[in-house]
Amino acid sequence: MTQLQTVAADAWRTQIEAAITQRGERFGGAWVTADRHWRALLVKGADARVISCQAGERVDSIVDLVPAAGWDEREAHDLHALSFDGHDQLRALIEHPTQGERWITPVRGDGVHQVAVGPIHAGVIESGHFRFHVVGERILHLDTRLFYKHRGLEQAAVGSTPQEGLRHAGRACGACAVANSLAYAHAVEDASGLWPSPELRRQRTVLLELERVYNHLNDISAICAGVGYAAGTMAFAAHKDRAQNLNARAFGHRFLFGSVAVGGAARALPAPAAAELRGGLAELRGDVLASWRELEFAGSLHARMDAVGVLPAEAALRLGTVGPAARAAGVAIDARVGERRLEYDALRPAAAPRPDGDVEARFQLRAAELEVSFELLDELLRAPLPASAATRGLRASPVGVGRVESPRGETVCIVELQAGRVGRLHLRSAAYANWPSVAHASAGNLLPDFPLINKSFELCYACCDR
Amino acid sequence: MFVLLRQLQRIRAQAGLHRTDTPGWLAIRHVDAGSCNACEHELGLLTSPWHDLQRFGLDLVASPRHAELLLITGPVTTRMVGPLLSAYEAMPEPRLVGALGDCALGCNLLGEAASMVGSVAALLPVDVQIPGCPPSPEAIATALLRALAERAR
Repeated sequence: MTQLQTVAADAWRTQIEAAITQRGERFGGAWVTADRHWRALLVKGADARVISCQAGERVDSIVDLVPAAGWDEREAHDLHALSFDGHDQLRALIEHPTQGERWITPVRGDGVHQVAVGPIHAGVIESGHFRFHVVGERILHLDTRLFYKHRGLEQAAVGSTPQEGLRHAGRACGACAVANSLAYAHAVEDASGLWPSPELRRQRTVLLELERVYNHLNDISAICAGVGYAAGTMAFAAHKDRAQNLNARAFGHRFLFGSVAVGGAARALPAPAAAELRGGLAELRGDVLASWRELEFAGSLHARMDAVGVLPAEAALRLGTVGPAARAAGVAIDARVGERRLEYDALRPAAAPRPDGDVEARFQLRAAELEVSFELLDELLRAPLPASAATRGLRASPVGVGRVESPRGETVCIVELQAGRVGRLHLRSAAYANWPSVAHASAGNLLPDFPLINKSFELCYACCDR
Repeated sequence: MFVLLRQLQRIRAQAGLHRTDTPGWLAIRHVDAGSCNACEHELGLLTSPWHDLQRFGLDLVASPRHAELLLITGPVTTRMVGPLLSAYEAMPEPRLVGALGDCALGCNLLGEAASMVGSVAALLPVDVQIPGCPPSPEAIATALLRALAERAR
């Protein structure tokens, strides 16, 4: 059960400050409710709690205490007209004003000019705009202007039944469909006092790791593409395709759409299918390992990644970075560790092969994490996955919270039920948490290295924009 | 490197791809107008070793000025209308428009009405329809090859 503590609006800053500095909690997102409460999630290890205040139209900013809350405050202003005292200048995030000064950081000096890229990019890439401030080829600062793909999924989910609401979370992003659906299912189950059975925990863990496998394969391919190392790009694209074919054979969909249900399993995986999947994964694992060994010894590949796009540990902590990007910087944040709603007892998180926070570190960490996921799947698929349901008996939480480690990091879903229907859905994906880190890691690098830096984070636009 | 190339050679052999005599060439410019990124993943795989679309004379190009087919994904969000129409305007005539995936075809849309146009057909004349959520690389390849053959006739 998730605790909800309501505090006075004028105590908001002191409460957040105490949580961060005295209790050692971490900011996990903030959102506005229908009755204009301003709420924040505070995370410590596997536990999380919510603090809330009646905000009305203005509330004190916490962005100086918690820089990770910067985007949350800007979003609350753009979508819910909540103003923040002390957040100067509150730049537009989701709104797209025509006046440049409302969203572009002023950068002055000799020879400084702007380079505008997007929203449509040169390849098969999602839409988003980057405004680089450069001198020559050196990036001084990057303003990201995303949310071109904003569909209003959170608003559209209001009033739907908890079962219907799943579609809005699940379709927020194709590549994170399991993570987002599962975060939503956990949130609804938290808000309704449901607890998953051991079989359900195991099945959901399998789905989450299958999603991680094909995504990490994709990301290794993408980083090779960023360097221009075609043999690596093609080999890992082919491996990813194979992983998705295995998904389709076992669960009926290459992106595992429709494999997660609220309060139970969407489908069973009988013994022959589980054995087939396990065998297919073992075969794939061998080929991936052989390809990876080749990449390890490709000197020209590594020469491009060393000391490029560095995100230091201190910056990762300050910006609230999550997932492989944080772990590659030496910040061991992983929502899988200690997660009791899933079956991660056997998880031995990969040690970062080099915790330097550069492109090379993120590249190597993905390969190490792939091995961990293959190992976990091999263990979890020894037995069939019967269809099983969650059981009642817990106390329902006033605010449902789901936290799941997606391939890109911790994804948080908030569901507040009103009279049995969705009153508020908020999805704060790992991509949303990590976009400011991409801009931070790009500063000081060369403009032609940006595609490589960007691909080493490989963030989604869709589940950020929603 | 040699192991990688051998692996790729083996994949090519397993994929059993055949050379074809499809006439001509089709240059495709993709625009994401608000998709969930699944269509992009599948479209991206068309150039991977299992599918290798280039052998049919199809390729994805960087500029709309080089493109004959504008392939659009997503329900067309209001913020992507402007950039999408600019890309269309930049294309030389004659030009084709393809709607890739159920969202682009206006099926089972999710989201609030104020943030979306609804389907590509509401903005542009659609010549190639590729249904699916998302359509598999094979389905995309089949539809594109049909478009290529029809244009050649």
